[in-house]
Amino acid sequence: MNFKNIILKGLAVIGTVFLSHFIYSKIYWEPELKDQGYMLFNLREFQWHNDVLYLGESSNYWVSPNDTDKRTISDMINDSIEGMRLSGMQVPAYHAGMFLPIIELIDTNARVKKLVVTMNLRSFGKPWIYSPQESALLRTKCFYQNASPLYNRLCATLGFHASPSADEQDKKMLHCFEFDTLKVDFELPHNTIKTWCEQEKFPLPEGGEDFPKRVLADHYIKGYAFQIDVNNNPRIHDFDNIAEVCKQKNIQLYFNILAENIEWADSLVGPSLVYFMKTNRDLLVKRYSEKGVIMIDNLEKVPGQFFGEKDWTTEHYTQEGRIIVAQNVAKTLMLFKDK
Amino acid sequence: MLFNSWIFFLFLPLVLGLYFLLPQRWRWLLILAASYLFYGWWKWEFVIIIIVSTLLDFWVAQKIDASQEKAVRKRWLFLSLSVNLGILFLFKYFYFFVGSTDWVQQLVHPHQKIRDLVDFLGKALPVGISFYTFQTMSYTLDVYYGRAKPEKHLGHFAVFVSYFPQLVAGPIERFNHLNEQLKSKHTLLFENIQAGLRIMLYGFFVKMVIADNLSYTVTSVFNEPSKWPFYWNWIGVFSFSFQIYADFFGYSLIAQGVAKLFGINLMDNFNRPYLSKNITEFWKRWHISLTSWFRDYLYIPLGGNKVKKQRWVINVLLVFLISGLWHGANYTFLIWGALHGIFYLIERFSPIKLRSTMVKGVLTFVSVTLAWVFFRAADFNQAVNVFNGMIGINDGTRQLDTQPFIFLLLLIFGIMEWHRGNLRFDDYCKQYNGFQRWTLYCFMLFCILVLCGTEYQPFIYFRF
Repeated sequence: MNFKNIILKGLAVIGTVFLSHFIYSKIYWEPELKDQGYMLFNLREFQWHNDVLYLGESSNYWVSPNDTDKRTISDMINDSIEGMRLSGMQVPAYHAGMFLPIIELIDTNARVKKLVVTMNLRSFGKPWIYSPQESALLRTKCFYQNASPLYNRLCATLGFHASPSADEQDKKMLHCFEFDTLKVDFELPHNTIKTWCEQEKFPLPEGGEDFPKRVLADHYIKGYAFQIDVNNNPRIHDFDNIAEVCKQKNIQLYFNILAENIEWADSLVGPSLVYFMKTNRDLLVKRYSEKGVIMIDNLEKVPGQFFGEKDWTTEHYTQEGRIIVAQNVAKTLMLFKDK
Repeated sequence: MLFNSWIFFLFLPLVLGLYFLLPQRWRWLLILAASYLFYGWWKWEFVIIIIVSTLLDFWVAQKIDASQEKAVRKRWLFLSLSVNLGILFLFKYFYFFVGSTDWVQQLVHPHQKIRDLVDFLGKALPVGISFYTFQTMSYTLDVYYGRAKPEKHLGHFAVFVSYFPQLVAGPIERFNHLNEQLKSKHTLLFENIQAGLRIMLYGFFVKMVIADNLSYTVTSVFNEPSKWPFYWNWIGVFSFSFQIYADFFGYSLIAQGVAKLFGINLMDNFNRPYLSKNITEFWKRWHISLTSWFRDYLYIPLGGNKVKKQRWVINVLLVFLISGLWHGANYTFLIWGALHGIFYLIERFSPIKLRSTMVKGVLTFVSVTLAWVFFRAADFNQAVNVFNGMIGINDGTRQLDTQPFIFLLLLIFGIMEWHRGNLRFDDYCKQYNGFQRWTLYCFMLFCILVLCGTEYQPFIYFRF
C-alpha cells in the first residue's frame, strides 16, 4: 500500500469523525439532551432569560393530590420576587455532585447572576451517597462535561465513568451502617445505625409490633443518624466546589437547606436523632457562611402536617409546605437583591 | 473488561504492540497476563476459578495420557468433569437447585460467615463461566478419547483456557484448532490487521448500532407488556429476536477480529441463522461452537442416532434441555430448550412436508422468535404476560417512543447479511473496490459514533 493511499484513508476517517460531530451537534444533540441530560437542556435556554436559577430535585415539583395550588417551589419564589426573574431546573434524585457540572457550564456572560441550590440534608447520608441510582447519574454526568457533544456521548456509550453496581453500593452502605460510629458527648446507647435500628421497638398493646412504624423509624435513623465528616464526605466536596466555581463566575450563591420532618423524627425516634439533624445543619450553615454563601435555613420551618408523604423520609411538601419554603427563599433573595 | 468499553480501546493496542515487539518465547506470558487482566478487570477474585480449572485439567490430561488402563483413565476424567461441573454448579446453579436461602435463615443462629457465603453464591456469577468451563472440559475429553495429545507446557495450556478474545462468550474453541495457532509464531501482517479491523468494525456496528438500539423497545415491552397495545408486544418480541442475534453475533465478530489482529483464526459462531428453513438447520447456523460441543460430547456419547427411536427422542430432548440449562439457572431456559427439542421432533415426525422454501423459512423464524420469549423473560409469569399482550389480553393503550430510524438500520443490517451470503465480512469487502469499501466503512463508523445506543450495554451472553 502506498503512502498516498494511507493519507487518503486517514483523511476519510478524520472526515467521517468531523462529519459525525457536525451532524450530531446540529440534529441529534438537542433531542438527546432533552432525554438524557435534561438539566443542561434547560440551562442552555434559562441562563439567558433569568436573573436567578433554582437548582433542585423532586422537592421542587412534587405536589400532593389534594393541593389546589400546583405551583412548584421555584414558581412560587418567582411570583414573590419583584424585579427579578427566576426559573427552576430540577431532576429527581439529583444531588450537589450533579449540580456542580451544570454550574460549571453557566456562561459568564449569561444574564443569570444568582443561584439557589437546594441542600438536602439526606444527600450527605450514606443511603444517598451509596444509592443504587448513582451509576445512572454518573452516566448522565458524561453529557454535562465541558467537551464536544459527540465526545460526551461516546463517554456515556463506552462507560467512561465509574459504574458501581447496586450490589456494591448496597454492600458499602451496610458496612457503614455497621461500622461507622456516632461520637457524641452525651450517653448514646446505640452508636451505629445498625444497633440503633435494632434497638427501636414499637410494641402494640395487643402484642406484637407496629411494623409500619418500625420500618418508618428505621428510615429516619438511616436517613439522618450521621455526622458529616468534612474531610471525606463527597457532598461536602461537591458543595465546596460549587461555592468556588460561583465565586470565580461572580455568581451570588444561596444554599437552600430543605425542610425535614423534625416532628416525626422526634416522635418516632426521639431527640437524639433531632440532635444529629440540627448539628449537621449547624455545621453546614457555619461552613458555607464562612465561604461567603448565603444560607437559607428551612430545616425546621415546615410542620409535620405539611409533609406530603407520611410513610417515607422525603422533602415532598403539600402546598402549605412549599409556600413556607418559597417565602423563606424569596425573602432572602429580596434581602440581597441589589448586593 | 468489555469490548465496548473505553478501557478496551487502550488495552488492545497496547497488548498488540507489545505482542509483536516481544520475542516469540515470551509472547505466551504476555497473552496470559493480558487475558487474566481482561477477566480480572471485572472481578479479580474469579481469575482464581480459571486458574484452578487450568491447573486441574493440565494435570488430569497428563495422567489420562500416561495411563493405558481404561478404568484409571476414566477415574481421572471423572475427577476433571466433576470438579469443573462442580464449580459450575456452585456458582451458577446453586440457587436454582437449592431453591432459596430461606433455609439458612431457619437454621438455629446461622453463623454470619455461612449467611455471607450463601448470599455470595447467590449473587456472584463469574462472567462467561459456562464458556471457559466447556472449553477446558472439551480438552480433557479430547485427550481421553485420544483425539488430542496433552499440552506439555502449562503456560501454553493456560493461554488456551483463558485466551481473552473468546474467554467470556466464546466461540468455544477446540484444543486442536486453537492451541497450535496460539503456539505458532505470528508476524505482523498487514492483511491480518486489515481483516481484523474490518471484522471488528462490523462487529461494533452490529452490537452498538443494531443490538443496543433495540434494547429500549425490548426492555419496555418485556418489563410491562400489559402497558402496550398488542402490536407493540409483537414488535418487542421480534425486536428481541434481532437484538440477541446482533448482540451475540456482534460479540463473536469482535472476538474473531481481535484474534485475527494477532494472526489467530477463531471459528465462525454464526451463519445467518434466521435464514434457516428448519430447526435442524437453525441449530447448525446458530451458536455453532456450542451446538457442535453438545453434538460431540453429549449427543454422540449418548448414542447419537444409532439407538432405538424412543431412546433417540429422549436423547434429543435431553440435549436440548441441557442446552437450555447451560444458558442459565432458570425454568424459563429449560422451557426454551424443551421448546426447541419439541420443534425439532415435530419437524422430524410431522407427516406434512412443506414445499415452499419461503413458508418454511418464515415458520422457522417465527417459531424461534416465539421461543425467545421464554429466553428473555425473567420468569414464567413474565413470559405468559408477554404472550397475553401479543394476543391482546389486557390490551394497553400507551405508545412506545421507539425511534423509527432503528428499524431502518435493522433493514440495512438485514440487507447486508442477506447480501453477504456465506462470505465472512472481510472476504465480502474484498469483492468491492476501494471507494465502495471505504464508503461502507465510513457509513458504519458514522452509525457507531452518532446512532449507537447511549446506554452502556454489556453483552447479553456475558451472563452465561
